[in-house]
Amino acid sequence: MIEFAQLSYRYPDQPQVCLDQVSLTLPAGSFTLVIGPSGSGKSTLLRCLNGLVPHFSGGEVAGSVRIAAYDPIALGPRVMSRHVGMVFQSPEAQFVLERVEDEIAFALEHAAVPREQLRIRVEEVLDLLDLAPLRDRLLTTLSGGERQRVAIAATLALQPEVLVLDEPTSQLDPQSADDVLQALVRLNHDLGLTIVLAEHRSERVLPIVDLVVALDRAGRVVSGPPREILATSPLCPPLVTVARAAGWQPLPLSVKEARPFATRQGLAQQDAIAVGKTGEAGRASATGPTRPPRPYLEIRGLEAGYGNTPVLRNLDLTIAAGEITLLMGRNGIGKSTLLKCMIGLLRPRRGEIRIAGRSIAGRDVAAISRELACLPQEPDSMLFADTVADELRTTLRNHRLPVNEALIDELLAQLGLSERRERYPRDLSIGERQRVALGAISITRPGGLLLDEPTRGLDYEAKAMLGGLLRQWSREGSAIIVVSHDVEFVAEIADRVLILGQGGLIADGPPWNVLGNSPLFAPQIARIFPGRGWLTASNALQGLQQK
Amino acid sequence: MTPRSLLLVHPVTWTIWLGTTLLTVSLTRNPLYLLLLLFGLTLVAETERPTGRATPLDPIFFAVIAVSFGALFNAATIRYGDTVLVALPASWWLIGGPITLEAVVFGMINGLVLSALVAGFGAFGTAMPISALISLVPRAFYPLAVVMSVAVTYVPLTIRLAGQVREAQQLRGHQVRVWRDGLPLLLPLLIGGLERALQLAEAMAARGFAADPPSNQVRMMLVGGLAALFAGLLLQFAWGQVVAASLTMLIGTGLILWALRESGQQAPRTRYRLYRRGIRDMIVLLGAGLTLIAVLAPWPGRASLAYTPYPMLQLPIFEPLLALALMGLLMPVAVRLGDRYLP
Amino acid sequence: MRDRLMSGMIIGFTTVIGIIAFLYPFWLPTMATSGGGVAHAGTAPVILTTLVGLSFLALLLEAQRAAEHALLVALLGVLVAMNAILRFIDVALPLPGGFSPIFVLIILTGYLFGGSFGFLMGTMTLLVSALITGGVGPWLPFQMLTAGWVGLTAPLCRGPIQLLGGVGRYREVLVLAVFGAIWGFGYGAIMNLWFWPFASGPVEQYWQAGIGLIETVRRYLTFYLATSLLWDIAGSLGNGLLIAAFGGPILRVLRRFQRRFAFVLRQAPLSEGL
Repeated sequence: MIEFAQLSYRYPDQPQVCLDQVSLTLPAGSFTLVIGPSGSGKSTLLRCLNGLVPHFSGGEVAGSVRIAAYDPIALGPRVMSRHVGMVFQSPEAQFVLERVEDEIAFALEHAAVPREQLRIRVEEVLDLLDLAPLRDRLLTTLSGGERQRVAIAATLALQPEVLVLDEPTSQLDPQSADDVLQALVRLNHDLGLTIVLAEHRSERVLPIVDLVVALDRAGRVVSGPPREILATSPLCPPLVTVARAAGWQPLPLSVKEARPFATRQGLAQQDAIAVGKTGEAGRASATGPTRPPRPYLEIRGLEAGYGNTPVLRNLDLTIAAGEITLLMGRNGIGKSTLLKCMIGLLRPRRGEIRIAGRSIAGRDVAAISRELACLPQEPDSMLFADTVADELRTTLRNHRLPVNEALIDELLAQLGLSERRERYPRDLSIGERQRVALGAISITRPGGLLLDEPTRGLDYEAKAMLGGLLRQWSREGSAIIVVSHDVEFVAEIADRVLILGQGGLIADGPPWNVLGNSPLFAPQIARIFPGRGWLTASNALQGLQQK
Repeated sequence: MTPRSLLLVHPVTWTIWLGTTLLTVSLTRNPLYLLLLLFGLTLVAETERPTGRATPLDPIFFAVIAVSFGALFNAATIRYGDTVLVALPASWWLIGGPITLEAVVFGMINGLVLSALVAGFGAFGTAMPISALISLVPRAFYPLAVVMSVAVTYVPLTIRLAGQVREAQQLRGHQVRVWRDGLPLLLPLLIGGLERALQLAEAMAARGFAADPPSNQVRMMLVGGLAALFAGLLLQFAWGQVVAASLTMLIGTGLILWALRESGQQAPRTRYRLYRRGIRDMIVLLGAGLTLIAVLAPWPGRASLAYTPYPMLQLPIFEPLLALALMGLLMPVAVRLGDRYLP
Repeated sequence: MRDRLMSGMIIGFTTVIGIIAFLYPFWLPTMATSGGGVAHAGTAPVILTTLVGLSFLALLLEAQRAAEHALLVALLGVLVAMNAILRFIDVALPLPGGFSPIFVLIILTGYLFGGSFGFLMGTMTLLVSALITGGVGPWLPFQMLTAGWVGLTAPLCRGPIQLLGGVGRYREVLVLAVFGAIWGFGYGAIMNLWFWPFASGPVEQYWQAGIGLIETVRRYLTFYLATSLLWDIAGSLGNGLLIAAFGGPILRVLRRFQRRFAFVLRQAPLSEGL
């Protein structure tokens, strides 16, 4: 069905190739997962399928691609749109019209599909993706997951044989992401649609795909069944890391497949004593000696909300310096409201917030940000200067602080951006852009740091780097608060986990207590080894060694 | 609410109604009829306004301003009419001379004409949802219709992003002290917009969007048509050759319209949303037709449309039949109010 | 060559017809007094409005060639949305007089991406902002045409900028700022000329008095001083200052992206060095 033969591609004005002699065969009706580090050419590979590369990007091509009998390089995206549908990362930057129905009909109108047929096709895809109840809604009123489903419907309306998705869930919260992936599984199973998907969250997709294509930074490609590729790939979910180390064969790809191995080794029994011991032991070795906690942020009797509906009621919270606190909770439960109160963007109705002993009432956001810096969800909305170093200087100038080049160099080195010093921030990868924004808020050396969904769109490598950085800063005495949905990341870095429920905090404690037994928030490892207090791959590996 | 439920008559019917309204207003100088039209059109705008939406420009308020301004300006610049109110010293630069009642009235009529036009446009604007307006764009301008759709879709998004950018900049200590501090707000928005445009363009291309540039044949027709229009203009106004001028201009008009048609047919499109025509359209069109006949057909009552206060102010003639015919433009109100009783 | 000739002719004819139409209130009275023309003096506004409308459509169709690629359609759409919001701010806030921030992007994109792009940017900005604010009025076509003209003529800055030492210097921004300031007056004057017949009434009024060109000019001057001079000064200063302050950084951003837009399909086999 899909056939790459010795395909090489180079972007205009780039010295090295992006894809190097890629040869691949993907059969009709298969579900393929494309993995690879950021910048390895996943998107480029996908864009070769419908002719966006090279018709939209320029550059040089050698070799060939065939989708059934069609040659996208020769035919271009306009013709290929009938055969290959493509869905992109951003849930907001792929829509032309305001309403769901119109958006789905857009491509059909453009292709002059006769009206009677047009109506039928719109109805079909609305049903196929469960969008019928939303048909008249404005796209701006939909959630990210719903929007991605509309985007899928809009491409499927043209009845392509292949559906290509470029990280469709990377901007979504886990629930919406599941929504989208479920829809894909249905399309693949029920319609036999050929699907090619690039995705960071491989743990959710691995159990359902037939093939994995792994790219590396040099533009080379290996492909095969998931077990085969993941046996050697450096990019794998924690479950696979543990299974590989433990030598489990055949390699399990889901919790369900891994449980029998754990049971066989006698590691899955409920053991209350083991929970406390191993958990704390594992944690203590990771965090080093504990210091007496010094409160950095204190919230007393906080009540806040918008209009007439209070979101938070009577909330008390103390955050200590030198501690990483993770804040979790459902969408819309008030995490952002709490965050906005802490940084002064929203004035609380009642209660007091003190940072480093001083109340923030009556101080402006700029002043508060020097003591409690906040990284917003979209770091891009911050960046506009010509170079990375300039971004940091801008912040210093905003605060009327002297521009200290040595300080900038030091921070950039910490952030791993020394070599990017003079680059244009917007040209960097998402992980790097986020670290630039992190630099821009923390160049004033605040004692506390707030991060809002920092792992969105990051690959494993960038996440590990961010985790390391936060650990280091926390060891140096910073109070760090992270809002996140990403349980694997939370398990990896948290000293303390808070769960926000209706109106207030419903759980507060060390991660192995809060996450270990939660059906909703437990990471993969905790599900495989229930009751052992292991949350991360390294916990499990350590535990397995001791065994 | 769907565009269909908002719109009781077809967008084309509304457009014809607007055309008739504009023509009627510009042919009328009788202040009595103008007032009638102004109030009638304001009523149309009011009944069409979806509940909860504010009127962007109140026609009556606009009329008060336009009428007073028109009166002031005309009185200050026009020097004839028999009823002199005040005489300013002739030595006053630009405005010296007698101020006459006739000039004041004439200016007020100017203001009324403008206000009635604005009221007509206002009614049209409130009645038509944006998507219906875009559906009226001729096929030749399909790419521009898409540009409009994209822009309308991105306005709320851009407003949200602007809020995000403002918060993000505050978080790094940005404060707006002088107006140049707007730059850190504007630039991320612009860069974000450009990046979004790149992504959107890819998504559009992946769904088969590509515009077809007009062929050279079409462009030749445009050049020919424009040349004919220009020649006609010279013939008419510089050399006074009325017949030849009209002919040339007609040819030019034909060429340009033909070019638009050709260009629209190069790439066929279909439409998903279909606005149906029905009994309501008939009612509105009949009303507009009645008005049109009354203001164009040669009958005695038609003369009362014209009115001039010069040289000596007199009362305008009021012809009840004509006034009744003008009320044909109020049919949209009837359709809206009587919607329940119509099939 | 032939391509540019056709473009040039379409733009040329449209401009001449537009200028005549905008200036007709001045020469109509003279024409009327010279006799002969009296009979059709009354039809002149209708004829001229139709001609301007037609040539506007022709020019729009020609300029639409700038939107033949999905990328340019998307780019125009997104930029127009941004500009329409700026206009909205301008309408909602009591900014001094004709001070309007929309011309910055119209002029800068016209200068960088070409006259056709600028023309579309101007017309579409006015149209879309009128749609979203509900401010559709009889003045809209004239505003669209005039704002389009601003963008269409922006590439004229390229010559003086070359003379003054080229791209990237502060002088580049200075030239564009002066250009913006000039158009601040131009836009005001042209929009006034549109409004002027409404303020002065139909042509019989002159004809009866038998006034000539000088009298018309005198009245226009009164009208202008009374209504627009301060307004236009504010608009002109505003344009100049905004471009001087923001032009440089915005140009840098647009240029960065211009490189990404400049794609070409070079379907040559890769060299052996790979």
